Amino acid sequence: MNALKVILDGVIKRNPTFVLILGMCPTLGTTSSALTGLSMGLATLFVLICSNAAISAIKNIVPDKVRIPVFIVVIASFVTILQMAMQAWVPALYAALGIFIPLIVVNCILLGRAEAFASKNSVWLSVCDGIGCGVGFTLALTVIGAVRELLGTGAIFGMQLYNADFGALIFVLAPGAFIVLGFLIALFNRFKTTE
Amino acid sequence: MKSTLRNMVLSLGGLTAIAAAALAGVNLLTREPIEAARKAALREALEAVLPPFDNDITPDTIAPGIVAYKASLGDDYAGTAVESFSDNGFSGRISVLFGFDAEGAVTGYRVLTHSETPGLGAKATDWFAAEGTGHDIRGSRKPLRVKADGGDIDAITGATITSRAFLEALRSARKGLKKDEK
Repeated sequence: MNALKVILDGVIKRNPTFVLILGMCPTLGTTSSALTGLSMGLATLFVLICSNAAISAIKNIVPDKVRIPVFIVVIASFVTILQMAMQAWVPALYAALGIFIPLIVVNCILLGRAEAFASKNSVWLSVCDGIGCGVGFTLALTVIGAVRELLGTGAIFGMQLYNADFGALIFVLAPGAFIVLGFLIALFNRFKTTE
Repeated sequence: MKSTLRNMVLSLGGLTAIAAAALAGVNLLTREPIEAARKAALREALEAVLPPFDNDITPDTIAPGIVAYKASLGDDYAGTAVESFSDNGFSGRISVLFGFDAEGAVTGYRVLTHSETPGLGAKATDWFAAEGTGHDIRGSRKPLRVKADGGDIDAITGATITSRAFLEALRSARKGLKKDEK
């Protein structure tokens, strides 16, 4: 199992959002624009790489019966570190993502990768898996955010492409998140299976 | 690894101690930048809503949830910014910072937090300061209401509830301000 394959698997074959359908809460909640989707993806990417590496490094000294609490302590620590760092250096972004940053703790992608991959593989491969899944999640959130922002407000990353008055507000609201997500899952799997 | 009480306690306890130490370290490192960022954001908001001032503004709680920031330029009283709120927004609390000049006229406002509908209620962030319209609250000295309630402010199209809550926050800010002057 080489590093590149692990990364590509995470982005495409086991894409957390479009294939595994994991982490739906932040996916639906933070993708009202491309920028917030991207930021949420990057924040999760950071925590995923750190937690995968740490969990893989300590896998041989953790007794089986307490492994889940151990994973949660590791993940929660990295999330809290990220939260404090964002508050200190990018307060505007922290304000935009709000409650979703602390909620990374309960994102099932992190616990899922810890249990399914990091606790069985080397530190190096676990980091690659973290990069793969994290990038896959980031790409998915950015694409959903971009589509919703474009259809809802006529802009992508704040760049106006057509008059905002022609945008369909529903795409910025919650129902639009479900509609866009559904169509993108269908599209993604269509191309994935033809490969 | 086989679980025994001893190794479970040791590994979980040890890990928690390491995590606590790491968090304490990061907290020490970020405490000052977080405080500085909070102050800079407040300063920036005050400068946006108040007439020019040069004093070091300190917060002063004048009523539950209502905080006043008195500003002066040189020795003269320049105005007061009042942080106020309403719990009657379309999706809960809206908190707003209002600026008043020395005569008590509104000079500007900044919506601090809200969870109003994007595209409708969320327009409150600049709706009430639109030049030359029936919904510009700047320069006003009296308690305002929306037209639907017999007042003279145009509500945000499709978001009357948000507009009501916003003006309610403004009225409580003014009430707090008056009480404070007495």
